Amino acid sequence: MELHHFFTAQRVLIVAGKGGVGKSAVAAALAKLCASTGLSTLLVTLDAPSIELPATEGLEQVVVTPGRALADYLSSKGMGLLSRQLARSGIVELVATTAPGLDDLLVLGRIKAFERENRAEVIIIDGPAAGHAIDLVRAPTQLKNAVGSGAISQQADEVLDMLSDPTRCKMLMVTTAAFTPVSEAAEVIEELKNSVGISLTPIVVNKCEPPLPHISVDPTDTTALNAYEYLAQRAAAQQESLEHLTQVIDLPQLHVERRRLQGTDLIDSIALDLADAIGELHE
Amino acid sequence: MSENSIESICEQAKVIVTCGTGGVGKTSVAAALGVYAAQHGRKVVVITIDPARRLADAIGITGELSNEPQRVSVSAPGELWVTMLDVNETFDQLVRDTSPSPQRAQEVMNNSFYRSLSRSLSGTRDYMAAERLYELHNDPRFDLVIVDTPPSRNALDFLESPERLARFLKHPIVRLLMAPSRGGMRFASAAMTPVLRAISSVVGSDALTGVANFLRAIDGMETEFSRRALAVAGVLRGDASRFVVVTAPSPDALHEADHFVSELSRLGINLRLVVTNRMPPRFGHTSEHEEREASLRSSGDISIMHSLMADLCADAELAEAGVSAFLDRTQQKFPQVGQATATELPADIHDMGSIVALAQQLAVSEPRQ
Repeated sequence: MELHHFFTAQRVLIVAGKGGVGKSAVAAALAKLCASTGLSTLLVTLDAPSIELPATEGLEQVVVTPGRALADYLSSKGMGLLSRQLARSGIVELVATTAPGLDDLLVLGRIKAFERENRAEVIIIDGPAAGHAIDLVRAPTQLKNAVGSGAISQQADEVLDMLSDPTRCKMLMVTTAAFTPVSEAAEVIEELKNSVGISLTPIVVNKCEPPLPHISVDPTDTTALNAYEYLAQRAAAQQESLEHLTQVIDLPQLHVERRRLQGTDLIDSIALDLADAIGELHE
Repeated sequence: MSENSIESICEQAKVIVTCGTGGVGKTSVAAALGVYAAQHGRKVVVITIDPARRLADAIGITGELSNEPQRVSVSAPGELWVTMLDVNETFDQLVRDTSPSPQRAQEVMNNSFYRSLSRSLSGTRDYMAAERLYELHNDPRFDLVIVDTPPSRNALDFLESPERLARFLKHPIVRLLMAPSRGGMRFASAAMTPVLRAISSVVGSDALTGVANFLRAIDGMETEFSRRALAVAGVLRGDASRFVVVTAPSPDALHEADHFVSELSRLGINLRLVVTNRMPPRFGHTSEHEEREASLRSSGDISIMHSLMADLCADAELAEAGVSAFLDRTQQKFPQVGQATATELPADIHDMGSIVALAQQLAVSEPRQ
């Protein structure tokens, strides 16, 4: 598949994955790769960014928090003064408390606004950890049930329209080839299918160990024998997890090799692997 | 025996709180500490807030974990129980316990806002975790409660949640909403204030009415809420509680661990133990450099083996350097902190045998000099 096509198949890409699988690094690598195909790209993080982005033309990064999203929302409704008053009185917390899930909806609402404003051709969200991803995309429905009417309800409808439209928004799951992350990814995908109807892109399998070369080890060298035995067990466990993944998750896989790199070098190497893997996808 | 060794922690503590980011095996470590303590005769209950289903399978729990502790079969003189936090059930129980009459309790539980609040608000989850901890701490069946906090950056929020709830109930806007209604005005009079009007325009007036009704229904119960909140805070900050940070050697895991160490320091809580999980194993005593040289000097399978060894050494060296720097930083804040290490296994932990093995590893790991 052409990279350009992969990234323009939707406007908003929400990247989600269990802690430790390298979700933020994959989101940053996707953003870099997307921008390098000439598409203007916005990387949205929901927390202070923990990752330094490689300098890339056409790539911009913003942080969206519920508090800031609420202030933006009120300003857009002509209530800028009020939003400052609210912020000062510490009442934002109370507003969020009155309508559970409101903080998640505010964040999604802000992302929807970016999309509608054409802030960038592609918007990539360094999303929440896997478990919270479900809460995030469920928030609009839940709020609608809780509040019934009002501006929030309308906002929730608009966000749901975006989430359920595969030409506007998809979710990209990140996992590693290990048992627990695969099981959790499968659970999240099942939940997503049963609730919001958000579409999924191929799944990224990060930190894959390269294949272990078949060699004969000197039988008198116990250290080498132990080390090779460990590597063989690790390779077998990875293979088993990949088979498990193929069984329980019916999505094409994009494999990224584990590398001993850090910082922007790591992001660059993930981007290269992703480019290769996307290139091999069928249309 | 050092005061902060695994052994003394598992023998003396009444409460152990494990914190750490996702992906470091925190839940497995909490379970392993439970196994170890049970092996030392303790009656242990492990509370997990949000476990992967796999862990439930691992410790031999079939079906759903529930609020009611379930006994895990483990060969030890003590006992090991596990339970999962059920936010709704814990909140209902709290309402039943603190309400002046069963009718009042039912009124609160029927409130639409209460139902969605207890289900989905993360702050509620924190508060209920603290509340559940307090209940289990006072449960005569157990003499050690191990709390496996959620794998989030804000995991320690639950320590402050009782105070936060008390503050919330005292907030002027909340008092305003709770003010007794006058005739048919109900909360309409309160809604005349600009701030309430603004909130109402955002969340809808139905929602605000629901909140007002909820707050009125719990009126009077907050004294008891506050009393329990203080009791929980007392237990957590008391002599019988031990805090453990679990980490792994990857740079992002160590970065998050630094955050937890700082948070504990800010909260004035003594960190007793750092558990470094998933250390890459060492084979032999060579360095990456030596193995790369040896690989260049040799050929064929021997050269490939040296190159594989070099990669393993590289992983181990990087991990050891990162962890050592982290422990130095931690000791500046907590000079007495103990430490234990476990090696990365070739496959994920997913059965009771591997949790017992993890407990074994933690117990024998060398204290840092």
